[in-house]
Amino acid sequence: MGLVCRVVEELGISTVCLSTARDLTLQVIPPRAVFVNFPMGNAFGAPFDTRQQLRVLRACLELADSATRGGALTEMPDRWPTEFRFKPDRSGM
Amino acid sequence: MDQTEEQEPIRYAELLAEHYKAAGHPPYRWSVHDTAPFAPLKRPLPECTVTMLTAGGISERARSPWNAWARNDHRLDAIPVGVDSAHLQIHDAYCDHGDADRDINCQFPVDRLRELRQLGEIGTLAPRLWSGFMGRIYDRSRLVEQSAPAFAAALKEDHVDLLIAVPA
Repeated sequence: MGLVCRVVEELGISTVCLSTARDLTLQVIPPRAVFVNFPMGNAFGAPFDTRQQLRVLRACLELADSATRGGALTEMPDRWPTEFRFKPDRSGM
Repeated sequence: MDQTEEQEPIRYAELLAEHYKAAGHPPYRWSVHDTAPFAPLKRPLPECTVTMLTAGGISERARSPWNAWARNDHRLDAIPVGVDSAHLQIHDAYCDHGDADRDINCQFPVDRLRELRQLGEIGTLAPRLWSGFMGRIYDRSRLVEQSAPAFAAALKEDHVDLLIAVPA
């Protein structure tokens, strides 16, 4: 996704990439990224928690507005309430 | 269990390498860059046209579901901006999407985006939201030379100023 953002940005459109995978984002370096330490699949937070969802979405907008260079990264302070792990669906294997 | 200390970010590169191997996929080499391109926002947010892209295998229920195990799938769906969020479905083997199955907004916040539009925090929403570029695209030259530029051209047709992109 970071790669798509890089191409779109090169063609003149501003992008913000939300990330739950800090290590991958630091490799790809999208033009602007917001990292939130939530599980994959919960990028904007918990279901029906509209305040949390809005907070993450607004962080994306704020970075779009404030960034002055490519590779800008916002790290959100929000914490997930429980410990989580990488949980891909293995049923199709 | 409750988190008593801040959880370190998961190091996904290694975990995904194992996951791909177990699924019979070849090793995935993540792109590595030192710098990034930059196109400044052209106008204040309350005047911007905004859209959103998900790579989370999300589709309208009326359309065929994503192949959760696809490789090199360059499918790209336009989703009408007025879509009923209850009419979206997820097919993605990349992560646990149980929460998003109940409330799509925790992965693709279409309702929140429309609320921010109503509040005037963003100017307008583009007529099309997007779902595509799901994981496991190995033919990166096709992505960079064809699929992503075609996507950018569609964004220009809709006069998009800002794209919010959400990976799986």
